[in-house]
Formats: sequence, C-alpha cells, structure tokens
Amino acid sequence: MNSFTFTRARTIADALRSARGDVKFLAGGTTLVDLMKLDVERPAGIIDLNALPLAEVRRTPDGGLHIGALARNSDVAHHPDVVRDYPLLSQALLSGASVQLRNMASTGGNLLQRTRCVYFRDAAMACNKRSPGSGCAAIGGFNRNLAILGTSAHCIATNPSDQNVALTALEATVHVTGSNGERSVPIGDFYLLPGQTPERETILEPGDLVTSVTLPPPAPGAGSTYVKLRDRASFEFALASAAVVVTIKGGVMQRARVAMGGIATKPWRNLDVEAALEGQPATRERFADAAQILLSDAKPQSRNGFKVELAKRCLVHALSVATAVT
Amino acid sequence: MDPGIIGQSLARIEGPLKVTGTAAYTSDHTKERVAYAVPVGSTIANGRIAALNISKAREMPGIVEIYHRGNVGALYKPSPEAGAIDEARPPFADDVIRYYGQYVALVVAETFEDATAAASVVDVVYADVAAPNVELQLVADDEPAEVSRRGDPEAAYDASPIKIDRTYITPAETHNPIELHASLATYDDDGFTLYETTQAIVNHRNVVSEILNVPRENVRIVMKFLGSGFGGKLWPWSHGTLAAAAARNLGRPVKLVVTRKQMFQTVGHRARTQQRVRMSAQRNGSLTSLRHEAVNDAGMLDEYDENCGEATPHFYGTSNLLVTGGQTRRNIGSPTAMRGPGAVPGLFATESAYDELAIELGLDPVQLRLQNEPTRDQSLDVPFSSRHYAECLTVGAEKFGWSLRSPAIGSMRKDGSILGWGMSGCSWLAARFAAEARVELHADGSARVAIGTQDIGTGTYTVLAQLVAETTGIPIGRITVELGDTRLPPGPTSGGSMVTASVIPAVLEAARAAMKSAIGLATTLERQPFKGWSPEDLNFQSGKIVARNGASGKQIDYHEVLQNASVAMVSGGGKAASTFGEEHPKRSSHSYGAHFLEIAWQPEIARLRVNRVVTVIDAGRIVNPRAALNQIEGAVVMGVGMALLEEAHYDPRTGAPINSNLADYIVATNADTPRMDVTFLDYPDTKLNELGARGVGEIGLAGMASAIASAVYHATGVRVRTLPIDIEKLL
Amino acid sequence: MASHEFRTDRVEVAFTVNGKPVGLAVDPRATLLDTLRDELGLTGTKKGCDHGQCGACTVHVNGRRVNSCLSFAATHEGAAIDTIEGLGTPDNLHPMQRAFVELDGYQCGYCTPGQIMSAVALLAEPCGESDAEVAECMSGNVCRCGAYQNIVAAIQSVRKENAT
Repeated sequence: MNSFTFTRARTIADALRSARGDVKFLAGGTTLVDLMKLDVERPAGIIDLNALPLAEVRRTPDGGLHIGALARNSDVAHHPDVVRDYPLLSQALLSGASVQLRNMASTGGNLLQRTRCVYFRDAAMACNKRSPGSGCAAIGGFNRNLAILGTSAHCIATNPSDQNVALTALEATVHVTGSNGERSVPIGDFYLLPGQTPERETILEPGDLVTSVTLPPPAPGAGSTYVKLRDRASFEFALASAAVVVTIKGGVMQRARVAMGGIATKPWRNLDVEAALEGQPATRERFADAAQILLSDAKPQSRNGFKVELAKRCLVHALSVATAVT
Repeated sequence: MDPGIIGQSLARIEGPLKVTGTAAYTSDHTKERVAYAVPVGSTIANGRIAALNISKAREMPGIVEIYHRGNVGALYKPSPEAGAIDEARPPFADDVIRYYGQYVALVVAETFEDATAAASVVDVVYADVAAPNVELQLVADDEPAEVSRRGDPEAAYDASPIKIDRTYITPAETHNPIELHASLATYDDDGFTLYETTQAIVNHRNVVSEILNVPRENVRIVMKFLGSGFGGKLWPWSHGTLAAAAARNLGRPVKLVVTRKQMFQTVGHRARTQQRVRMSAQRNGSLTSLRHEAVNDAGMLDEYDENCGEATPHFYGTSNLLVTGGQTRRNIGSPTAMRGPGAVPGLFATESAYDELAIELGLDPVQLRLQNEPTRDQSLDVPFSSRHYAECLTVGAEKFGWSLRSPAIGSMRKDGSILGWGMSGCSWLAARFAAEARVELHADGSARVAIGTQDIGTGTYTVLAQLVAETTGIPIGRITVELGDTRLPPGPTSGGSMVTASVIPAVLEAARAAMKSAIGLATTLERQPFKGWSPEDLNFQSGKIVARNGASGKQIDYHEVLQNASVAMVSGGGKAASTFGEEHPKRSSHSYGAHFLEIAWQPEIARLRVNRVVTVIDAGRIVNPRAALNQIEGAVVMGVGMALLEEAHYDPRTGAPINSNLADYIVATNADTPRMDVTFLDYPDTKLNELGARGVGEIGLAGMASAIASAVYHATGVRVRTLPIDIEKLL
Repeated sequence: MASHEFRTDRVEVAFTVNGKPVGLAVDPRATLLDTLRDELGLTGTKKGCDHGQCGACTVHVNGRRVNSCLSFAATHEGAAIDTIEGLGTPDNLHPMQRAFVELDGYQCGYCTPGQIMSAVALLAEPCGESDAEVAECMSGNVCRCGAYQNIVAAIQSVRKENAT
C-alpha cells in the first residue's frame, strides 16, 4: 500500500473542504481498504467520514424512507421500517457478504462498491477501468462471473452489489453534496455504462459526497422479493440476482419494477421488461416472455454464456415468488 | 496396561490454548529487532529477468535491504537423500522465470507496511517473454510409468460384453489452510532457529540445512501449532529459504508471511489430472478388467507424480488390471501432495466409472461392489491385514436407507427439489513412518512425552497423552506433551494419515522403559516395600508399583519411589522403524470406507446442495473418536467443496492463477455443510501396531466427489466427469 | 513488539482494547489487525486472507463483530475494541470457549478465535435460532478443517445454557 495522508472529518463541511486533489472518502472500508491493499486504489489522502452524523434511518414526510449514507448494511437490513415496508432491500442486504462485512459496510459505500473482476483487482493485469487505455484482460480471460449486459469492447466488469439492485427496483434517489451544492439523482441515472470510459462508474464528480439515499413510499399491496443465485450457499457474489416489485389486481400485473444484478455492468433495469409484464396475467409464460426480452441483447463472453439461461431462470423465479405463482 | 483411555472421546488437551488465542502459531512468534520480509513475485510465467530496478524501492522509508540473485548469498539444492522438497531449485538460483509468481526479489523493512509498499515498486524488466504453457489437455511428456499390471487387461476388455471407456478430469486445487504460510528466522552463533509452518519439522531441518549449507545440528525447527496444512505444508518452500537467508545476511530476525495470493503461486497445489478409465464386465457384473491411466501436470523443473492409481490395484477385484501414471510439464509452480494425494483424484475417476458400469449393467452400485470384493491384494499377492470394506457398504446402505432408492433419473422428489442419491467407496493407505519418542516420569507425579512430530489439528497432542495415560495409568491431566521441535527425538511427518499409527510403538516402548526404570529403582530403596525384590516380580499399574502376583498386597506410588530416591525423573526411549514404501510387504494395509449421500437439485434456480451424508469408515481402532469424527466430517465438507466449488484457474495468456483469493476460489462455508452421520467400524489392525490404529486424516475426502457426481447424475441425468460440478454443467 | 524510529507520518489514535486504554501513533496504513498483532502483541486475532474473505481476524468494535483486516487502526478513535484475549483465559474460559472445547468446534484452531468472536456476537444479533440460520450467520468465518457442524452445535449449546 502506498503512503497517504490521513484526515478525520468532523463535519460534512470539513470533509468537503478536505476533498482536494487525489483523495478518497473512507466509510466502512470494505471496498476501499481492500483495493488499497491490492494497489488498485492509490489515493494520496484519505478522509475518514466515520464521525459524520450520516447514519440515520427515518421516515420522510411523504411516507418514504431516508437512509443516511453512513447507515451500516446490518442496521438498514434489520431496521423495522425496512423489514416491514421494503423487505426486498433487507433480503438483498442480508444476502450480501458476511455479518462482519455488513456491520462495516455503509449504504453510501455500497452504492460505490467496485467490481469484483479479477483483472481489475490485480494491478499487474490490463484493465481499462483501473488503468485507462491498458486494455481489457477479462475479455478472453477468466470471465465466468462478469457481465453479459451493458458491456463494451473496453470493459465487461459486473457491478457486484446486492443493495443497489434492490434500490434500483425500489426507484431510490441518491443525494449528493459537493462543491456545486446539493443534488438529488434518481438511481437509474446514477450509474454509467462503461462505454469508452469504464473508469467512470457514476455521475459523481471529484469531491462529491453521497449523504443519503431516499426511497419513495412503498407501493401499496405490492409483492416483492430478492433472489440471488450463486455457487455456494453463502458469502459469495451473485452470478445472477433479481429484485422485483409487482402489484397485482385481479390476476393482472398492474405495476412491475425489475432490476437485475450479477449480469450487468450496472444495476440493470430494462423498461421494456416491465412494460412486457404490466397489464399481463401473472403466469410463468408471461414471466418467461419478459425474461426473453431482458436477455435479448445479452452478449456472452467466453466463460459466462450460461448466465443467459441462469438470469432467465432467476427472473422467472423471482416473479413467481413475488406474485405467488407456482 | 490400564485399558479404557484408548477409545475415549476426550476433549483436546490443547483446546483451552486454542480457544483463547493463547496457542502460538508460527507468525504469532516475534523477536527483538524483528524485520519484515515481503517477496516480490514475477508477473510473467515464461521468460527471464533482464533487469531488476530496485533504486526506487530502496528510497522508500524503513527499508533494511532488498535481496535478489546478486546479493542473497549462497543457497544450494538439497541432495535427494536430504529428504522431500517439491521445488528443489533454490530461490533466485537463475534468471529464468518458469511460473507466474516465482520469487524474483525480497524486500526487508522495519515494518510490514514499509516492506509491502516497497515490494510494490520493485521494477522487474523481463526478456524473452513467451506464451506460458498452461494447456489444460494433458498428454504425458514421456511414456507413462506402469504402476501395476496383472493378467491381460487388453484381451479381457476386448472379450467382455459390457465395457466403458471414460475420461475424468480433476482441476488444480489449492489447499488454502486458513493459516498463511510463514517463517520467522533467526540466526546467531548457534546457527538457525526457524519457526516454520510445517507438517514435517525433521524433514524440514534435514532439507533446509543442506540448502543453507550448515550442519544439521545447527538448524532448529520449531512448530508448536499449525493452522492446518492439508499437505501444502509438508515440504519446504522458497519463502522459508529466503527468510533464513535474510536473517543470516542481516544478523537479525526476519519474519515473512506469505500472502493468500502468493499461496496460489508458490506453495503448491493439487495437480490437475486427466484419467482414462476402461472397465469391462460380464453381464452378471463380474469385473473382467480395469485399466486406469492417469496423467498429471507438473512444474518445469520438478518431478511431481500425483500417483492417481494409488488405491486402484488393491481396491478392485479383477484378474486383469493396468495402472499407469505420466506427467506433463507446465509453466506452473510445482504441485504438491494435497489431502489424499493420488487416491482422492484417482477414486473420483475409478469410482465414477464403477457407477457408470453399474448403470450399464443395470445393477445396484452397492451390489456391484460387493460382488467384486477381493479376498486378497491381487497385485501384491498378499493377504489384507484387515479389510472390512463390504461391511462399510452394508452398514452405510442400511443407515442411509439405500434400499428406498428409486434408480430412475429424476424420480425422487421432496419439497420442490429433485433428490439424487449417490454412493462411493473409499480407501487410503495404512503404514508407519519411523519414530522415536521419550517418556519421562517425574517425582511430582507428572509425566512428559517428547517426540519431534506435529499436531496439525488432527489431535496428536491428545493422542500422545492418551498413549502415555493408557500405558502408565497416570491421569491424563498430569501428562505433558512436548512436540514440534527438532530438539526432541525425531518423530513422524504429519502426512499420509500416519502419525497415530507411527507413534504408537515408539511411545509405548518409551513409556514401558520409563516404568521399568521406576521399578528398578523401587528394588534398590532401603526401608521400602520392594527392597531386594526382583524387578520381574513387580508391575507398574495405575501409576503404582505393585507385586506381580498381588499376593503381598504391597504397593507404592511411583513418584514416592522417585522422591525417596532423590531422583527427579526416570525416563525411557522408544524407537520403531518405518513400514512405509516396503518393497515386499507381507500384508496389504489400508483403510476403507463408504459414503452414501443425498443432493437436492432445484432446476428452476439452478441450485445444487448436498443435504446429508452417511459415512462408514474402517480405520482400525479409533484412539479418540471425538477427534476422529471431526476429521471425517471435515473431510466430507472439503469433499463438498472439491465436488462442487473448487478450481484454481490459470489465465491462459499470463499463466497467473487468476482466482487467487478466497472470494474467487470458493471453499465450503458453514451454510454448505450437509448433515453428517459418521460411523467407525471397530476392527483393530494389530498387524500395523499393537493397538491396531490406522489413520483417519485423509480417507474421508476420498470418494466424496464421485458419490456427489453419482447423485447428481441420479437427479439430473447429467454425468459430470470434469470437476467441479458447477452450475453451467447442469444448465 | 516492534520498535520504530520516530516517524512524522504517523497518526495519533486512542481507543480501548479489552477495556484497557491504548494510545498509539500508528502508520495510517496499518490495519487494526496488524496493529493488534504487531504493536500490541495481541496475536490471538489471526490473519487468514487480509481481504475480508475468511473471518479469522474477527474482533468486536463497539460491541459489533467486524473484520479487523479491512479497517485502518487510525479510524478507531474512541472505540471500544474487544479481542479473543479479553473473552477468557485457559483457566477461566468464557462459556462459548468452553463449548468449543467440549464440542470440538475446531481442529487446527487457527480460525477459532475469529469463530468464537463471531459466535459470541451472534447470540446478541437478530439471527434466527435454527441450525440453518446459525450456519448462515457464521458463514463469514471459513473453517478449512470443516468443523462447521460442531461450531453450530457449540453455539446452540451456549444459547440453551443462556436460556436456562
């Protein structure tokens, strides 16, 4: 690990003021410390945010939920309001990592969790995301767990988060503060496709600080679930995951929100998939049609072609569970 | 001998140290002025070092020294007689890079953080970089060696009505003990004291003393607790040599802890194997021939033979058999033994083939095995010392409820899952290494047993105490066990599941010699009950010296004898020879077992889990059932990982083991653990040692992958012959 | 304990370890794990992967279990840190430690301090009470020896003990 200066921020203003040059904000550390040990992240300075008052989880006036950026994954997962009104967020969080990591990892940090691509994580390997212009060793390499949607010729790295898939299906809003003041960004606009600039993963500008995430009021009467598929039974990133929220009336799906993880370069939402479900009867046939649309643009790599079928099964199963169709 | 302590499920005597963090593992030791070493590994797998630019690293804070070929000092290749080592080339011996991660430099600094930072800026310039050979298809470089042959397998195969010809592949697997390999090296006028993560302190001393070119007496190896090894810590690796060389050169202690990533590169792995199995049978199920031809990959310089056919000749009853083994060189670090080397990958192939043959024959796989059970070792043409494999099969089938199995594919369902039931046999060798031991009886009523062996988590501390308690009758709480130091009498390597069998004769002999000494003392003491008695008329029982005929009613505690004689202790030595690798053994000694298990397959989410496992093991007498059960259960868990999860992937372009961490090389977690029901048959194998104990460390892993593959076939109709059985093979 | 020349690039940090106040000038790169082991001589906490993938380094920070390998020591200003050494001693074992000994919840013992720190924390967490739920909540602690069945049994036995 390279040497760096260490600053403890006492206030948000403090943190923003210190955010000059090549510095990184540090929250739970589960991504950043890990990547610094791998020499993937080599910041000149670290600003420790952990003393900031950003850990609150509370209702918003409109009946939604405010989740402070420093709220730990464990606390959010077990928060009574989350368990009652946003159970798929709780399920997604509890399916991720381990208890220890969830006790450390923060909501804001998880939003910015970086890919598990082994080539990104190895400083000796070519990686356009880590070292722009160096190439993508994952293409033609060990890419079993990498993306089949949203990829480019420059990057096929998967967004590894479970939380962000649930937040996407829940249509969360990310609140940011920075040198240009405060902004609120729908999560659907927060992540960028790799394109030719895979090093840019979100709309955040240097010095921007995520302060909270808000959720809209829960959809009344909706069924929801988070389904995560992986090789081993626990403590593993998703090969495919699905977060779905479906409202049914008279056997017909009125409203559907679908986000996928483990298969795409960002938490994946395809409005055509939702459109294919809404107004349709909740049957396995219609779910399969939607899965077909979801994967129609899939671009498998040398080792991950099975994800096309796996993702379909994942989505069909999630919709079946959420709508109680057997 | 006081019966009763052998066979008791005692808690591990070192347990309180382990659960409190008090037990000191290798990297827990430290020394005044210790410096931290971090090796730099190559980032190519095939080429040479043209230049090493260390000027930037040298300027970093806290740097003590940076070693490389030019300044590391003399290091030698050990002679073959020195002992075992899988990578015999000393580190930095030349500029040729033969595998990814090969050490090219060593940074030594004041702190771990300083050393790590400097190591990352050592700039290696490579030349003649060529594509690495990490080809997965394995064809032996030379004519494979014939391991065993009997009858005419070719003719028998051709003449048989039922035959199968299949090829099975097992991947490179890494041991991944949770304890990182480590070395703390010190050097002074007395020579080297090396704290090492080793399963074989004596071998380590003998080999490393030749690498460092110092007398054996000037090297002391210490290893009190090992965070397990599974074979990966059997023989010395380059990092230990480098730590010792740095300590020698600097005249200060050096600690080196290998990273998890480096553990995928430089400390061995289970060789990748490709095995062709041809079997033939009569329609009634009589096995007419078996050919088992295996090839494994090996490093560029070393001769690693996985010996996949280790169990094949004795395990299968057939008059016509051929076992061969070949190697092919790759740009990889040398493979090494991993839990059940040879037999574990070998039995995956042959037991899978047996299952396929049973299906071909329309026979139950248990029945096929029982039907072909041999009465003697047909390759060695000697009797078995103790073989109860058939009983393992019948007891296992009964406990599991095998008779309820419906053989049609996908025909068993429960709770929305398709169930698959599979079974497999297993076997592992039984032998003894040479061992010496010393037992002391002290005047304070305690006893101490000293032997230069290791406890790698297998329960050796407790077993040694049990042996002394059993022989002397001294309560186990008053027995101290000293192991893990080459100053002690040379004991066995913790490999091959052979420690328990090996230490029994030496420890019993030593204890008896000490007891005899105490008796002798009793006959010399004035005003004591046995003054003038002949030692032949006395016995040592339950810590007391008593008259042999018991008639006199006289007795005296042995420690009173010692106290009265003003003697601090009496002691005795014991020594037993090796039986391992005998050219013409009189008997064929092995352990046996059978696994029966259930998997659940949920096709709609491609989820495969192992639900429950019934295992029956014939391993002779079990000295400590609590520890032995844990060994088998742990091996079953590792078997779940081997079958479903584990594979080290080598990047085809760079040759790097690319999933070199515990998030990408996944092993079974607590949540992957099936319900387990393990039974030991209790047939003491007294041909092997007086107590009839064999060993239980490895056998539980053998046969697990084939049992799971068979169960997966039963559930899905997909026969997976290449491990691991990952999701994509079933979609 | 290592001795260091005076370095200006260090960060002052004060926290308690097993109830005792500790004040250190740490290298900002030093993890809590390496600080406990190399600076404070508390080697009961183990390094198994150094990347949050095995759980051997599990300690409690302010009563919650965390991976000390993924945490800079400098970030723990004012924190209460508890390690395996604070739980019990060989002569005075904590009930969870005793249960691990009695039920053989280990083999080699290397991952054991982390397992026990997780196990103690688990009983105060919203983890379910079934064996399967306990196994899930313990899956962040890899035991390569595979003593998982006994680890779950040890935890369940302490739970039962606590309930009576």
